Amino acid sequence: MAKKTKHKQAYEFKSSHIPIYIMLTIGAVVAVIPFFYMFSTSLMTLGETINKTLLPAQPQFNNYSEAWNEAKFSKYFLNSAIITALTILGTLAVVIPAGYAFANIRFPGRSIFFMVLLATMMIPYTVIFLPNLLMIRGKIIPWGSHLNTLQALIIPFLAGPFYIFLLRQFFIGIPKELWDAARIDGAGHGKFLTSIVVPISTPVILTVTLLTFIHSWNEFIWPLLVTTTPKWRPLGVGLYSFVTEAGPETQLLMAGSVITLLPVLILYFVTQKYFTEGIATSGLKG
Amino acid sequence: MADTVTTTGSSSVIGRRRREAITGYLYILPAFLIVSIFGVFPIGYAIYMSLFRWRIKQGRFIGLANYQKLLGNGWLALAFLVGLALVLVAHWLWVDAFKDNSSKRRMGKIIASLLLIASAFGIIYGWRGMMIVGDKRFLISIVRTVFYAFMTIPVQIFLALSIAYMLFQKIRFSEFYRMLFFLPYITPAVAVSVVFRTIFNPRETSLANQVLSGFGVTELPKWLLEKKPVLTLLFGNQIDSFNQWLSSTGAGWQFDGLWLGPSLALVVAAVFGIWTFTGYNVIIFLAGLGGISNNVYEAADIDGANNFEKFWHITIPLLAPVTFYLTILGFIGALQAFTHVFVMKTPAVGRAMDVASIHIFDTFYKSNNFSKAAAESILLFIVILLITIIQNRILGKKALNG
Repeated sequence: MAKKTKHKQAYEFKSSHIPIYIMLTIGAVVAVIPFFYMFSTSLMTLGETINKTLLPAQPQFNNYSEAWNEAKFSKYFLNSAIITALTILGTLAVVIPAGYAFANIRFPGRSIFFMVLLATMMIPYTVIFLPNLLMIRGKIIPWGSHLNTLQALIIPFLAGPFYIFLLRQFFIGIPKELWDAARIDGAGHGKFLTSIVVPISTPVILTVTLLTFIHSWNEFIWPLLVTTTPKWRPLGVGLYSFVTEAGPETQLLMAGSVITLLPVLILYFVTQKYFTEGIATSGLKG
Repeated sequence: MADTVTTTGSSSVIGRRRREAITGYLYILPAFLIVSIFGVFPIGYAIYMSLFRWRIKQGRFIGLANYQKLLGNGWLALAFLVGLALVLVAHWLWVDAFKDNSSKRRMGKIIASLLLIASAFGIIYGWRGMMIVGDKRFLISIVRTVFYAFMTIPVQIFLALSIAYMLFQKIRFSEFYRMLFFLPYITPAVAVSVVFRTIFNPRETSLANQVLSGFGVTELPKWLLEKKPVLTLLFGNQIDSFNQWLSSTGAGWQFDGLWLGPSLALVVAAVFGIWTFTGYNVIIFLAGLGGISNNVYEAADIDGANNFEKFWHITIPLLAPVTFYLTILGFIGALQAFTHVFVMKTPAVGRAMDVASIHIFDTFYKSNNFSKAAAESILLFIVILLITIIQNRILGKKALNG
């Protein structure tokens, strides 16, 4: 008996649930069909993509090596990996102290700064991308052109207001007694933050890391504007330029799409709970 | 002795406060700098740019001429805006103004109706004028954006609420289903747009057309290459004869142009939007459902309510704040929809898929008219703000007051 209550909730099958299963399954199939289609087409021959059989007769794995080598996807992949990794590190370095300051340090104007920060989430990028591009080209601040550089792809994204908000909400929940105890031991904010707050905040930091990964990896317009050469061009933009060049070779296009998608997909399947929970809590507290 | 302790104590308190404040500023400094340089400053700079002639290089100061060219004439835009504002006033008169005074309430409603008529006049007069003397391409792109928003938001909220409600029943595999529904939201828009391009290809072997022919449809649509509105494709003959009848009655109006709604290509873009955001809405709705106390349902059980009654009279009203939040979020997202439209758009559809953000991008990237693009983006920003405020006024109150 005790064992049974320990289980989440004893499942009982009800025949009234059958329509629910049917509808949910139809919905799930619709959600997944583009991915299935992408994988299947990426393994077809050119002829098969035109005649549109649903599955390839013989999986053509060399489509991948062709996309990887000839369409420079290996380079774009490496670029994306570097950009994403640096964006995550930079974001954490900027966002954790800020979230901590808004939660646990008293300074004049704190709530005003916080409100301004939240308000910037409303700014449509359509308004800011043109001035930002001019800035990167060195037309507004005379610091020379930063087109096709790593810093242009990374720095504008490092201060995600949403992540600061998310972290602040979590840090506020940390008991004040911990801070009092640390202060009695002679620790300042820096010591307290690194040795106590960060270790006990791993779940929310992981959520921020994952969301940053997704956003950075999926980012499209900004890299499209600031990479005019393949030097630091990330996968998304590479895929787009491939679309405009490759034309009818659908199977290579799909292989490229799979290469672009796969890291996100793997990460999602491994850690999906952190995504959905992070989004659910943040969404309602906002 | 006691005195010295308190004085040194208070001065050290001040010193500590100051040090604390400095630490605080240092901690937010990097975030503050980045947000200022790449978030706040560009807004001011976009406004600045919009006041000049600016094609690649900065030209002379021209004041509001860019805005005037886009809107045609300040008075028309003002008439349009006043019309929108009157809707709010009328809503307030109708619902709130005479809450406590039932004798005056009828009066309030009569005035509200008159105001609504006036607002309709202002909106129509302003809009028609702007379409004649303003920048038609820009204005139509705004209408397309609104079409896009109204195609995506209601559908994705309806689907998400249904799915979340089903997942919330005590069913097996609900975590697995939830994972699959959320999947589209986290995938790179470019990669999936490329897939959508193939699925909604005009060829008869494309997946979308195979499904249609499976249902016995013989006239297969051109999907992403189709400029024509969906209504024309479905009811072209009826619309033609309706228009003939209209002109035979001597009416000066035809059922054509924007009245026919979005093109099929834009509908496909909307399908992409729905496909992407439904899962996100499901997650938020699930969290909202989890927040409803079980007691409410148990009380309803005692009163003998059936499942549908419980859903309609308890779940929906209690979820209203969540629905409201998702509507606002949906609008902000829809008004900025870009990447998937950009990737799925081909030259063959012409401007049929040019929503506002795409049009602004073209103004700047293809036409190199920087100041016009800046003015357009500021106007789009104003539209977003207005819609958010109106929603807050009308929907927000309802959502929060239940």
